[in-house]
Amino acid sequence: MNAVSRWVGERLPVSGRQFKELTNEPVPYHLKRWWFALGGTPAYLFIVQIFTGILLAFYYEASPATAYRSVEFITNEVAFGWFIRSVHKWAATLMIAAVILHQIRVFFTGAYRRPREINWFIGMSLLICTLMTGFTGYSLVFEQLSFWGATVGANIADTTPLIGPFLKNMMLAGSEYNEATLSRFFILHAAVLPVTIVMLIALHITVIRLQGITEFRFKDEEGGTPKTFNFFPDHLYTELIIGLVLMILLSALATIFPATMGPQANPLQTPEVIKPEWFFYVAFRWLKLFGGTAAILSMGFIIFTMFTWPFIDGWFRKHTKFQEASVWVGVFGVLAVISLTVWEAVARH
Amino acid sequence: MTLEIKRVIIAALGGLFLLSLVFVQRMETARKAEEAGLRGPHIAVPSDSKACVDCHAEENPGIVSHWTGSTHAERGVGCYSCHAADREEADSYLHHGVQIATVVTPRDCANCHDAEADEFAQSHHAAAGNILASLDNFLAETVEGARMDFNPHSPTPGRAIQVVNGYASANSGCQQCHGAKVALDATDGGVVTVDDLQPDENGIPTNLDAVGRIARDENGRPLINSRTWPNTGIGRLNLDGSKGSCTACHSRHDFSPRRARQPENCGKCHLGPDHPQKEIYEESKHGIAFRDLKDDMNLDAENWVLGEDYSAAPTCATCHMSGNIRNGGRITHDPGERISWTNRPPVSLAMDTDINHEIVTETDPEARRALIHDSWNQKRDRMKDVCSNCHTDDYVNSFYKQYDNLVVLFNEKFAKPGLQIMAALVDNGLRTPTNFDEEIEWSWFYLWHHEGRRARHGASMMAPDYTHWHGMYEVAERFYMALIPQAREIAQHAAAGGRRSAANAVNAVIDGILSRPEHIWFEEGAEAQTEAIRQAMERRYGVPNR
Repeated sequence: MNAVSRWVGERLPVSGRQFKELTNEPVPYHLKRWWFALGGTPAYLFIVQIFTGILLAFYYEASPATAYRSVEFITNEVAFGWFIRSVHKWAATLMIAAVILHQIRVFFTGAYRRPREINWFIGMSLLICTLMTGFTGYSLVFEQLSFWGATVGANIADTTPLIGPFLKNMMLAGSEYNEATLSRFFILHAAVLPVTIVMLIALHITVIRLQGITEFRFKDEEGGTPKTFNFFPDHLYTELIIGLVLMILLSALATIFPATMGPQANPLQTPEVIKPEWFFYVAFRWLKLFGGTAAILSMGFIIFTMFTWPFIDGWFRKHTKFQEASVWVGVFGVLAVISLTVWEAVARH
Repeated sequence: MTLEIKRVIIAALGGLFLLSLVFVQRMETARKAEEAGLRGPHIAVPSDSKACVDCHAEENPGIVSHWTGSTHAERGVGCYSCHAADREEADSYLHHGVQIATVVTPRDCANCHDAEADEFAQSHHAAAGNILASLDNFLAETVEGARMDFNPHSPTPGRAIQVVNGYASANSGCQQCHGAKVALDATDGGVVTVDDLQPDENGIPTNLDAVGRIARDENGRPLINSRTWPNTGIGRLNLDGSKGSCTACHSRHDFSPRRARQPENCGKCHLGPDHPQKEIYEESKHGIAFRDLKDDMNLDAENWVLGEDYSAAPTCATCHMSGNIRNGGRITHDPGERISWTNRPPVSLAMDTDINHEIVTETDPEARRALIHDSWNQKRDRMKDVCSNCHTDDYVNSFYKQYDNLVVLFNEKFAKPGLQIMAALVDNGLRTPTNFDEEIEWSWFYLWHHEGRRARHGASMMAPDYTHWHGMYEVAERFYMALIPQAREIAQHAAAGGRRSAANAVNAVIDGILSRPEHIWFEEGAEAQTEAIRQAMERRYGVPNR
């Protein structure tokens, strides 16, 4: 045994103490609360996405002539293909939901404030990357709605002042949806965005480790409650339980509501109703309300505001008496997102 | 703000978000299941039709059930959208507080489907009611029935039959395909039709006297004459002046495109001894492929464009009406747009049509050219667009040569000579002007109307057995073994009766025909040809032909 330890120790010169320090940093006591563990949930779902995504990529063929049939083959012919595809689809939904819930928690607890502004940027970037991964993934099926969703998405990008045509061209690999568009979406979905997300997650965690997690003390924790507890095994158990619950939830959703297939994309026939995936309902409804360039500019402004919110909030707190302005802005923002999403879901057109 | 309050806000917003997510997912899952065809679309009964649906779901659940499965229901087109009527319309009435009409006409459908209604109005289908004054109608109304009501001549045990409807064969036969002239019972015991109502361009009657004669029940509902309704004949003559019935092909109340695309739909009328298009299609390679590959026909596709939505096999609709990738998916509701011969009359005519979509019969080339608005060649090119989705140009062109050859053979060898003989008999007073009162008139009718059409339709749709055994073989038998002998016999009787010049004139026509190279075998024998066939058989099979 000593020989083995020596062999490993020579090649991986990390002592047991260092390893323990690396993996077992004490975490604030408030992380015992489940809803503070939401940061790990998207990471867990991301791992599910990578695993199921690799399995799907074994069979997926990214060209307009073959994409639909390959997804059909995965769904109908490949052993457990329907299940893997359905888990992939539902994990995407849950991942986006978890990211949003995590962001709600971070926002309302002010965990983005100095000195954690950079991690807020990273978190926002992760949100954007996750949404883009969802958008490109939806397009890969090459069914009517995903094709037209991508086309409409590109046309919306086209309305952006100055850089619109460039953005559209970059999205579609040309001025119109063409043979190269799907492979571009596929590379973005299966390589560029996941790698970016991995790097951002690594950066996110590194910054957390460097700064430590924001500490909160709830009234019921006052007194003899310890300030911290061990990451390993205590918090890891929490994450594992969440992971198991998610696995059960994913399996149930995939089995009860398996991913379906609409009609194959037909560039000559615009469907009567075009809908993006649910996480773009809010943007789609916004577009319908304000139309074209106005909607694009206002959405750009909102995203810019979200990115720079730590500074805006800081300015408010420093120069005004509205110390909790962020809470009310947040309440309004979340309610607006929910309302627009539900509105779009209910609307037939 | 304390952390505890923020905790409540986070919990409330998080919970609300999750709830909205569940709701949105429910909507999205339902929508995707609908798109994938796993679940019927959500049907919202339009408010103006809610009362109709509620009541008829009890009274006539089939109607509501069919409608529920229709695209109309899916898109919010309810009962009232189609049955709504103006008070001025002849057949409108107040029904539980709303003004409606029972009979929905192409004018009603045109409220939404105006382009389709226009195309249909120009088609031969819409004019199918014109048969109501034709030779075929004489058969049903006089030969088979009677143009009158008459008394039964003996009792029918168990039934108190007071009167025999002489039009019954026409009502239940001809008119169910060709269309009835819809009539309302009149207070004077007669009927009120479009002829009496003289509707204006909006379908509103201009003859108020006729409107005043309309008989109504105690609720004010006009009584539709039962001899003319129910009727979904494709050339129905409606009270509002419109012609046709969209439900002839788009069966109410589901108006299923899937059904309209299938040959059985056309087979309600296009079958039988005189125009067995349905059976001919079934015998053809096209029909065989359809039966085998029906599952690949994508019959539920929204546009159903050949070459895009399906390529497995063509149906009647594919060739005559539906869009294909070569014509940009253009659908027509005028099947005549792609037909280059009309094989309906005794002698087939090239489908050169004038501005009114009538066949040009002018024979002077110059005058004919001036009249032609849409030539047979243009029509054929449209059909070739369909053929070319699955066949090469050479293949299609050669097929058309074969088809033309058969039509021309029939025209020249049997149809024109037959007409000539029948005309000679009339011209010389050896046949009465009344049809079907002499045996030769039945023979001639069988020859062109039944057997001749079978041969020509068989060739048009690649059915060899209908072209030959059910077609040209029977044409030839009828010509040589019935028409010629019967004409000769009529001439012989005439000669015996002292009408020698008339007999000679008819015989001269027959002799002229039979002395033609293609007929000469009949009276002068064909030993040389028989010997040539025998020798060919011997060369091929090595044994003498017996």
